[in-house]
Amino acid sequence: MILHSDRGPLAGRHTSSAVAGTAAASERKLALWNIGFAYTAFLVGTLCGLIQVFMRNEMIQLPVWLDYYQVLTVHGVTLALVYTTFFIYAFLITGMSRSLGSFGPKVARWSWIGFFVAAAGTVWATIEILSGRASVLYTFYAPLKASGWFYVSLALLIIGTWIISFSLIAHYVKWRKANPGVMSPLFAFMTISTLIMWIIACLGVVAAVVFMYIPWAFGWVDTINVELSRTLFWFFGHPLVYFWLLPAYMAWYLVVPKLLGTRVFSDSLARLSFLLFILFSIPVGLHHQLTEPGVADFWKFLQVTLTFMVVIPTLMTAFSLFATFEISGRQKGAKGLFGWVGKLPWHDIRFTSLFIAMVFFIPGGAGGIINTSFQLNELVHNTLWVVGHFHITVGTPVAMTFMGISFWLIPYLTGRTLTKTTKKLAFVQIISWSVGMLFMSTAQHVLGLLGAPRRTQHSNYSDHPTVLGWFDGFFSNTSTLALGGIILFFSAMLLMVIVFRLWLIEPRSEEGDLYAEFPIAESDASATPRWLENWWIWIGIAVALILLAYTFPITHMIQDAPPGSKGFINW
Amino acid sequence: MKNNRNPHEADLRGTLISVLVVGVLIAVMWAAVYAMYVAL
Repeated sequence: MILHSDRGPLAGRHTSSAVAGTAAASERKLALWNIGFAYTAFLVGTLCGLIQVFMRNEMIQLPVWLDYYQVLTVHGVTLALVYTTFFIYAFLITGMSRSLGSFGPKVARWSWIGFFVAAAGTVWATIEILSGRASVLYTFYAPLKASGWFYVSLALLIIGTWIISFSLIAHYVKWRKANPGVMSPLFAFMTISTLIMWIIACLGVVAAVVFMYIPWAFGWVDTINVELSRTLFWFFGHPLVYFWLLPAYMAWYLVVPKLLGTRVFSDSLARLSFLLFILFSIPVGLHHQLTEPGVADFWKFLQVTLTFMVVIPTLMTAFSLFATFEISGRQKGAKGLFGWVGKLPWHDIRFTSLFIAMVFFIPGGAGGIINTSFQLNELVHNTLWVVGHFHITVGTPVAMTFMGISFWLIPYLTGRTLTKTTKKLAFVQIISWSVGMLFMSTAQHVLGLLGAPRRTQHSNYSDHPTVLGWFDGFFSNTSTLALGGIILFFSAMLLMVIVFRLWLIEPRSEEGDLYAEFPIAESDASATPRWLENWWIWIGIAVALILLAYTFPITHMIQDAPPGSKGFINW
Repeated sequence: MKNNRNPHEADLRGTLISVLVVGVLIAVMWAAVYAMYVAL
């Protein structure tokens, strides 16, 4: 039996022997810088979210130097791109150090370089947006045209993430060479799966930014092929969702069983589900473009079918998690079909936060299936439903999992503990986030189903009577939306207080403190097939599927390209 | 009394029913929106 408990140099760093490694200290510092950057973006992004719900409700008017679309762009970029990305790397850096051992000097150096490049790109992009030169929303759809430097700054952000990703892959390769024939720890395997998917996915947006947006924005070419630019964006945009989601899955697969006092339900199942995400998260971007002309129905239908394949690893994960709950409960003496529910550690904020995040993923997943259904997409496309879906997937299952991770990762990195007071605040924060999201997201879903558009400040179509009727219901109401937004902002500020306390105020942890550990469950890899870790097989299949799904549509878009569009700056 | 059986031998009827319930919930939500699509 091969049991990976993922004990690494950071694991017991509160003991005198463990703090000796300078590389471990460097990784801890790097992870904290990433978390600091992530939560700074979170602060800015949630403030912009509050401004938006007030504006939709016509409760405030912005000064002349700031408009709704600037605020919307900052909200999307800081929360969807920056908070998630930097937090994910903090989690992966710490976990890889814990699982595979301390970084060597080269890996540590390049990880820092990657962080600074990504951070520089982010700051630059934010300046471009706030100065009014890039109100193009986080999807930066052509023919809306930002300044050329905005696209350069986005490229820097991507390059920075690649540098960190390749550093982590180098750390993994070194470990594999030192441990021939041994399956890697599950955390490392999942990290590498996530990074492979991320690197392949980024090829689409890099191609679009470097070869299309930058020459167009700087005036080197007059027009842009809009359809192709959007297709390359969604080649990246859909797997981006899984780049957010897979680290959350890592916590669900590895942290939850540890908190329940059991092991990972099935090492093979966990690894296979991550591999399936590499295969089925990329060749599916056209399901975001189902209403667009210029792509034959066959290719849209093929990519819709491939999108539905993601249901398989998703339900594998659901089964694995329920099984973990039930096994843990029965080990504690639970009787009956659902007696194990009462045995779950509801008093442990590290568990409860992740559990609520998982529950939100059920309607989130159902909404995703609706979005990608060829016909139903006509009903919800470009409506507020999509915004509601985004908030009930990324905004809750992913974000709340990251919040739950923060409750132990920050103490683990700072050497502090979670006191009773902060624990109570954390419960209030998680519950208020859930309540706020229920109000706001439900309002967005209902209004979207009725026809209210997304990406616009006003959805009343010049006060048309039919449209005004949409806003009369309890949930189909901008006031409900604003109420949800206010509760969410309160929750966000509470989270900032908790992060601040965990970073600087809470007392130092002592040996054996639960909240100052990196909880990773044991995983029995003795029966796991070795070919699951032959990356070339999975990369090869992924590339084959991508070629199958994209070669003809993209060739068609280039060979039979329309005249192209000049840029529009409508702000 | 603790149940020390191997996880693969554990009683997972609750898991099976839970996953089925999740599947049914998803199907019901999809059907509700589909009904709206047809009605509109």
